Amino acid sequence: MTSPTRPDARAALAAAKIPGPDTGIVIRKTLCSICEYKCLVDAHVKDGRLIKVEGSRGSPINDGTLCSKGAASRQWVYNPDRLQTPLLRTGERGEGRFRPISWDEALDRIAERLAGFKAESGPESVVFFAGYPKVMRPFLKRLTHGFGSPNYCTESSTCFVGANMGGYLNYGYMLGQQGGAEIDTTRCILNWSTNHFYSQAPLGNRTFDALDRGTKLIDVGPMLSPPAERADIHLRLRPGTCGALALSMAHVIIEENLHDRAFVENWTHGFDDYREYASKFPPAVAEQITGVPKEKIVAAARLYATTKPAAIVTSACTTIHHTNGVQNHRAITALIGLTGNFDRPGGNHPVPTSYYRPSGLAHREHAFEQVKPWSEMAPRVGQDRFPVWSRIIPQAQAMALPEQILTGKPYPIRSVLAFGLNHRMWPAPEVTKQALLALDFFVDVELFMTETAKFADIVLPACSTLERNEFSISPSRHAIWTEQAVPPVGQSRPDIDIILDLAKRLVPEDELLAQGHAACLEWIFQPAGLSIAELAAHPGGMVLEGRPATPYEKYKKNGFPTPTKKMEFSSTILAELGFDALPVYREPLQSPVATPELAKEYPLVFTTGTRLPMFIHARTFRVPWLRKLHPEPTADINPVDAGARGITHMQWVEVSTPRGALRVRANVTEYVPPGVVNMIHGYPGADANELIDPDYLDPVSGHPGYKSLLCEVWPHPDQEGAAP
Amino acid sequence: MTQYAFSLDVSRCTGCRACVVACQDQNDLEGDDLAAFRHVTTIERGTFPDVRIAHVSLACQHCGDAPCIAVCPTRAIVRRGAEGAVLVDENLCIGCHSCALVCPFGAPQFSADGPMVKCDLCWVRLEEGLKPACVQVCATHALDCRPTESLGAKKAEAASLRILETLVRTLPPEPA
Repeated sequence: MTSPTRPDARAALAAAKIPGPDTGIVIRKTLCSICEYKCLVDAHVKDGRLIKVEGSRGSPINDGTLCSKGAASRQWVYNPDRLQTPLLRTGERGEGRFRPISWDEALDRIAERLAGFKAESGPESVVFFAGYPKVMRPFLKRLTHGFGSPNYCTESSTCFVGANMGGYLNYGYMLGQQGGAEIDTTRCILNWSTNHFYSQAPLGNRTFDALDRGTKLIDVGPMLSPPAERADIHLRLRPGTCGALALSMAHVIIEENLHDRAFVENWTHGFDDYREYASKFPPAVAEQITGVPKEKIVAAARLYATTKPAAIVTSACTTIHHTNGVQNHRAITALIGLTGNFDRPGGNHPVPTSYYRPSGLAHREHAFEQVKPWSEMAPRVGQDRFPVWSRIIPQAQAMALPEQILTGKPYPIRSVLAFGLNHRMWPAPEVTKQALLALDFFVDVELFMTETAKFADIVLPACSTLERNEFSISPSRHAIWTEQAVPPVGQSRPDIDIILDLAKRLVPEDELLAQGHAACLEWIFQPAGLSIAELAAHPGGMVLEGRPATPYEKYKKNGFPTPTKKMEFSSTILAELGFDALPVYREPLQSPVATPELAKEYPLVFTTGTRLPMFIHARTFRVPWLRKLHPEPTADINPVDAGARGITHMQWVEVSTPRGALRVRANVTEYVPPGVVNMIHGYPGADANELIDPDYLDPVSGHPGYKSLLCEVWPHPDQEGAAP
Repeated sequence: MTQYAFSLDVSRCTGCRACVVACQDQNDLEGDDLAAFRHVTTIERGTFPDVRIAHVSLACQHCGDAPCIAVCPTRAIVRRGAEGAVLVDENLCIGCHSCALVCPFGAPQFSADGPMVKCDLCWVRLEEGLKPACVQVCATHALDCRPTESLGAKKAEAASLRILETLVRTLPPEPA
């Protein structure tokens, strides 16, 4: 360090990484796509190398801030595990031995093999899979269907799509990740099992600002998370029982005449049946099911129903990761219409999503993607098994993929071309691994040499957002077309460019894809008049002015986009497909109530998938700054349960379920309530999903019930051995 | 002399540790031997169902009467005038750990046989009109850094606004 008493100004500026001509450090405006919140980033670049990141000051998304994950971008981009070249397998499948090959050779080989499967077994025998990032998805879906396969699937087979299904069945709208909650203008937030502080930090800050303005906060969830810590009322329910809690709140609201009678009479379908069904869940009964004291249920129902406007903030997935997930989510979101907060200012306002962001901007994404109608293609993977999913969601259900590969029914799958596939996303990941190894041909496009990539025949190196052009539009319509902030690591390339190069070989007749990335985006957003050249002239992005805002109370014009044109307390689609039409509450398939015999051996409720601030799924375990913050796998257990088992803080324990057991450290904490064990997900060497059966799925959505099953915890005999 | 200092609004700290990582990125703390200059500690008090969890983020406090300055045998630790940052000159530091003995906050860090290193208040950033890296990154604006005299005033104003907002909300609406 420079002596502070004899400052050498230039060296001091360089050491402090201050941009400018003195230091040769330049700022390149880019995005963080480690999660999908897409904070704007000032990449500090010197001599073509990223030396530091900061959030972009003044950005309407994150205004200069970042989360721990985004702040660690440098170790993400320059991670030693980054793939440098395309790789061709030389060893046995899964052995991880490869040799570098050129891009042309890799793409030619892939195109040749896929064309071969198409000729021999039909285009449906090839599955296309998209993990993160989401920007590539419309391109991959177009390529999939252009190739003739119906089998485009994504990691959303376990994520926000289930919540969207719940909203769609009730209202005909995909409500989006936060349920369309207008956090900034509402006067009461019903925060239903989501912790934005650890998943989408800038949104958490908006919650704090709302509280500073006097907004009331009700938090629902088993964990004592930052929002729960600050809530006026915290409903600490047993995982998986949220449907019963929501129905009980509905019962209180209806019983006390606190519902919006005009809305219910004019705009809803099935209210009488719903009211009658909810009456089976008076607070005393709901207390028995959920563990939430009945007085708190009543107080929360009254506060939510009488504070106007009120908004329910939902999670992308916590409420749907139960075997009754979509119905639970329907019960929760039904409260919005019941209280007259649907599509009203400060309530829950559905804003159409385009390009995975609820901007309400006019677009033709569906036309871009669906170049061939379903009727001209084979049935999708999971179509018979998950008919509701297949009716609503224009994707195959990836949860059904391992079984179809392994059984060949209803038709054989021979190849998977995947972008960022992690077999550990599936419950019972060893089954998915077995399926991937059974394929004739598996390609994985990845940033890093992951465990799954080692199963592949060809691995292609993708680059991060900082190394490519990317388009993003925020909910506030701040749009950006980023420049490349730093040169790509090795020979890595943007996912979209890889898709376009495959398209040249597989669907040469597709003239639009041939025009490239920017031309495709302009085609998609032609109704909104998007010009990539105009965006490129604004390196920090710009607010797209002059496009019509998404109106409120859209239903007053044409009714709801449901079969009855009304909000459906009783779902026409579910009834037609043979499911419960009402948002019926069912216990998790494994629970102290549903399976009392099993609960004698496994008395604790196991839940996994809750976020820690430094990790997002399996994406950042390999980032040293972040791994150091949580260096070993843990399971949270309440002091009451730990004490009863002689378990001390940070002792090695065995967490076991009927399916298997794992060795992890016990984090003895009040973060979880008594009776609940919360295990970090995806941790290397201690993957919680190994403890879940492959068919532990919600029959409506196909989503796994990650967040409510049964387990037991005991001190592990091996207290000295290294971390797994 | 202006004395800058960190402040933390504990009610807004969620324990996310972005401040820890931003500091490491700012100061190139990539080795295994060096811990971060900033630490976040979580406490829990009470038993279910009456429990509180809180977090504190802490770094060098750049104390007004800094014991590390007083004890340093080579006068390697000095206070820089413009911002009041307590800084170490690594050319003068002999790595004797005396500062670590007296620091109440555990701020001094040492690489193997190396000189002391710690938070320098991002004094160059302050001079450039920027906040320290840990402050800028903080998504909930729990961390701040200002001249000491304005820190209290800012907290008082924020608390007053919270009170007023609640009052305004509970007042009957004005007639149309």
